[in-house]
Amino acid sequence: MSTALKLRDLLRSGIHRIGQIEIQQNLCGYPYVLCHSADAELSKEPAFGGLEIHEGPADARDLSTYASDGTYRFTKGQTNLERGWVVVLDNEEGLRLALDQFYPACVGLFLAQQGGTLEIETLRDKLNRQTGMYRFARSISDTGAQKLVQQVCGPAHQCAKKILWKLDADTPLDDSEASRFNGIPSDLPQSEAIPLLCREACNHFVAECRKAAKAEFEQKNA
Amino acid sequence: MSRHLGGMSIAPKPNSALLIVGHGSTENPDSSTPYFDHADEIRRRHLFSEVHCCFWKEEPSLREAFYLIDAKEVYVVPDFISEGYFTQDVIPRELQLNGPTTEVRGKAFHYCLPVGVHHSMTDLILKRAKEVAPGVDPAATTLIITGHGTGLNQNSTKAIRDQVDRIIAAGAGYAAVMDAYMEEAPFIAEWDQLATTPHVVVVPFFISDGLHSYQDIPVMLGIDSEVGAAASQREVFRQNPHQLRGKTLYYSSAIGTERLLADVILDQIADFDLAHRGI
Repeated sequence: MSTALKLRDLLRSGIHRIGQIEIQQNLCGYPYVLCHSADAELSKEPAFGGLEIHEGPADARDLSTYASDGTYRFTKGQTNLERGWVVVLDNEEGLRLALDQFYPACVGLFLAQQGGTLEIETLRDKLNRQTGMYRFARSISDTGAQKLVQQVCGPAHQCAKKILWKLDADTPLDDSEASRFNGIPSDLPQSEAIPLLCREACNHFVAECRKAAKAEFEQKNA
Repeated sequence: MSRHLGGMSIAPKPNSALLIVGHGSTENPDSSTPYFDHADEIRRRHLFSEVHCCFWKEEPSLREAFYLIDAKEVYVVPDFISEGYFTQDVIPRELQLNGPTTEVRGKAFHYCLPVGVHHSMTDLILKRAKEVAPGVDPAATTLIITGHGTGLNQNSTKAIRDQVDRIIAAGAGYAAVMDAYMEEAPFIAEWDQLATTPHVVVVPFFISDGLHSYQDIPVMLGIDSEVGAAASQREVFRQNPHQLRGKTLYYSSAIGTERLLADVILDQIADFDLAHRGI
């Protein structure tokens, strides 16, 4: 079964949220309508309550590129998605494509987790494959990396992803709000939302590791 | 069947996915725009069951691409301007590819050459050069194709030199066609000395309008006095022509921002099928 059809089945089972996006079905004649979860009630008003209407999945990338204050959303798990729009979609394929632009690969990652085929990558594996200027990131200490998780990840730092990775095969993350977060940036139960999964440290985290590793190096040699 | 600027045609592949691979950036929002544009353009043609993008420095990552694809057969096309470290080391390593076709996780991955080395790029460069300088006599014009240039990787300069040779061979009518680079001779900063004609057209041989084509090179050309904001916040190319250093300069946006680069992606797939699958 395709990812799009599996997604349809998830929605039939009661799921209606991913990240900050509310997924509505059969609204104003459209099989699927997406909007910011904070606009969900408004979108049920006639003419979507005056929200800006985007037809088809193609605009999803533009809608997710900048936050309302104009800053670049450099990771898509950020909890600063802009409000004020609906994306209307004709079918499951369009829905899947739109969601993959708002939250890249997150539907597929969740399905793989459910099916037991999700492969998780440790931080050390990720850092050891960095090249060029990011090569230095690999020298970060375990202590420094643990600290960075608490300074960079989790909803307190605008990231709504559930961290699945460890530092290395034998070193789990220290307990913290970031390491405990379940990938659902709302009070919804897990039966109603697809969690955003972080199977590998993102490139923003890698860049922060590089900065921290340099600071550690300079401190050691001061 | 689709036809385009002179490349090959490609038959629909309703059971295959296309995976476009780009570099991406966590800092520049314009960096990945061309890849998504190319994907949109190809989706519109309904040639593949799925079209996805993945990146080295952006989401979805190359390794997350495995979770995007349903099809059992996948064409991987690096949307890069040349062969080099990324196309020869990083992409194969991340996707676990070990040859033209590799079986990974129950799927057949066909690994094509990067778009920039395909001969049909020549047509795109000429198209872009004409668009940026409409009505300008080629016989009074020098066409400069510019890239990064670095001692570390000769492939990127070779890709540009190959294009220069092809444009000259095509007899496009330009008084001169030459290559120039940011970090190696001939330097793009010396464009006015390299060109002897009154008109100069500069086409950056990059996929996206990122730091180099819209921020660094304009300073080297003399269009800007200092490095400016990201491309989407500026309108450098709309200010053509520039009267600078006694010449008329026309500066184009990066060649990869050309929507028809989608055709070059398809050309690389057609070439792959011909070379490795006999179809």
